[in-house]
Amino acid sequence: MKYGKRLYAFCGLILLSGIAGSVMVMGKPKTDNVSIVRDGEVLYELDLAKEEDRMIEIEYEGNRNIVEIKDHQIRVSDAGCPDKCCAKMGWLNSSVPIVCLPNHLVIRYSDRNDESTIDAEAY
Amino acid sequence: MKAQKLTKLALLTTLALIIFIVELRIPDLIPIPGVKLGLANIVTVFAVYHYKAGEAAMIVFSRILLGAFFSGNMMTILYSAAGVSLCLAGMLFLKKIISGGLRPVKHLWLCSVLGAVLHNTGQIIAACFIAGTGVIAYFPFLFVSGCIAGSFTGLCAQYVINRLELETGNNRDIWYEEKI
Repeated sequence: MKYGKRLYAFCGLILLSGIAGSVMVMGKPKTDNVSIVRDGEVLYELDLAKEEDRMIEIEYEGNRNIVEIKDHQIRVSDAGCPDKCCAKMGWLNSSVPIVCLPNHLVIRYSDRNDESTIDAEAY
Repeated sequence: MKAQKLTKLALLTTLALIIFIVELRIPDLIPIPGVKLGLANIVTVFAVYHYKAGEAAMIVFSRILLGAFFSGNMMTILYSAAGVSLCLAGMLFLKKIISGGLRPVKHLWLCSVLGAVLHNTGQIIAACFIAGTGVIAYFPFLFVSGCIAGSFTGLCAQYVINRLELETGNNRDIWYEEKI
């Protein structure tokens, strides 16, 4: 076996970079702006500090996602897809987005930095 | 193709399909989409070791197609096909480097780790095309879970391969029925 030690080192490197990447991604970004994106187009841009508690229902080809905003936090509270992976992810609190793959929905902190007076925009 | 070989390939496909369907019923501990114990890949690693590239590809793609039909979720074909193509390419490439036909096989699980990581990479790329580029943030978690799950399935396949050789005891490969 010619490349033995190099292969072990390579696998160890993959594992370590995975762990390092996970730790880096888990930090909470500093903004309060959240975008709800579907198929690449932004559906809603919300500023969580100014939002009040409400529920948004998003339809996609018969399946729906119910997005709940409560106490300046956002999550998917119910979904029409079979595995409900998005609902189990809990509140959005890191760079990791909440994704519902069957409905092509992504909820993440956005990079917008401007101080607009508009609370929410729907495109 | 001889009927005997075709039957053996079909048996392996059935095995992979059953493992796949049973695994779908296991409640997942980790809510990240894409993290799963890919136990059906034990059969993939076994096929990569014993058969040629085209035959292993036949087993795997049949399993993906039938698995999508039986589990009722046709979208998995897209993600799985992307992941599995990369995975097979990586494992076949690595097999040339690792195995020299020596028994007992000791390092096949490294092959499987690389295959699992490539599989997850392929799935993330497919997910990027479908749901937008925000999904890249899942990449580190899938690296870690790919390493762990890949080493587990690789070890299982390795034990199976070694055990099949030990059954006969006189250096005949009991699966392939040829002298080594």
